Amino acid sequence: MILDSLTVPVSEFARNTGWEPKPEGLCRGEVCVPAPGALDGDHVNVRVAAERLGMPLVDSPEHGVYALGPATLGGRALDTAVAADPELMNYDGSRFSLSSLRGKKVVLVAWSSY
Amino acid sequence: MTVALDVVPDHARPWSELAAPTHPCVVDTTHATGAAFGFTNIPMAVWIDENGVLVRPAEAASIERSPLRDMDVPEGLPENLTAMFRAVKEIPDDAEAYRAALLDWIDKGDKSAFALSPDEVVERSQPRSSDEARAAANFELGDHLRRLHGDDAAIPFWREAHRLHPLNLTYKRQAWTLVTTAPGATENDLMQGPNEVYESNLLDDVLGHGGFGAFIVRPEL
Repeated sequence: MILDSLTVPVSEFARNTGWEPKPEGLCRGEVCVPAPGALDGDHVNVRVAAERLGMPLVDSPEHGVYALGPATLGGRALDTAVAADPELMNYDGSRFSLSSLRGKKVVLVAWSSY
Repeated sequence: MTVALDVVPDHARPWSELAAPTHPCVVDTTHATGAAFGFTNIPMAVWIDENGVLVRPAEAASIERSPLRDMDVPEGLPENLTAMFRAVKEIPDDAEAYRAALLDWIDKGDKSAFALSPDEVVERSQPRSSDEARAAANFELGDHLRRLHGDDAAIPFWREAHRLHPLNLTYKRQAWTLVTTAPGATENDLMQGPNEVYESNLLDDVLGHGGFGAFIVRPEL
């Protein structure tokens, strides 16, 4: 997730990371992590949330921008088997939502031109 | 569905148009699926059931044996091409078993022996250390700056991503191809040879790791 501020609306944080605030803490699928101090009203304190979720925060001071990496809670690429909904694009530039295929079996194959 | 991990959609577009697929065929311009699912090479795949739950984690996903495997290395090729050809021929081949497993799941769904439980999927997903997560953040930041400020802006962050996650071949090949493809070329440079920007290159990196096999996540079937 690319950020130009370390305080972001909850909806933006949830959309980009998949982690949503619930009474139990920050949750994704069936996994919830207590995150005291991570929420301030309808905004997320990214530095605190990143620490709770084991997300690296990398910055470019020259450009005033940050990148928030994926969570490392269990030491595996997946914290839950619930499929993420990463930002994908059709060739016409429109957004493609993986979740639009719900109800069908999906084999998601990664390839590249290089 | 097929997802091209290509920061420049136009690099993938000709292949997609030529294939004229009837399935969803999209682009991942930020390698977000790498961070989301653990793709570190191509081709890799995940299987997702009708409820949006993964039943197989990211793993190598060839469904047919490449004819290159059974060809003799032609004589008279340049030394680097000969070495690359030999390395490609030694890539582990699980295509037949993987294809059979996939067809079994398509037929039997969650009754298939190849459909894993949610806990198994998580346990079998790729390792992710703090270094590897930091590599993902560096790759994403480099790509973001590349779009805003040009290719050079990505270099320090992509170098760091390569250092932190040396077995992630998509980060490397994406970066190498951008600096070794000649300006105006209609196809990417697939050899991704020595360059002055990044420490390594495709052939040296592969040979240095003992072959392509070091970068392959073989399916546990």
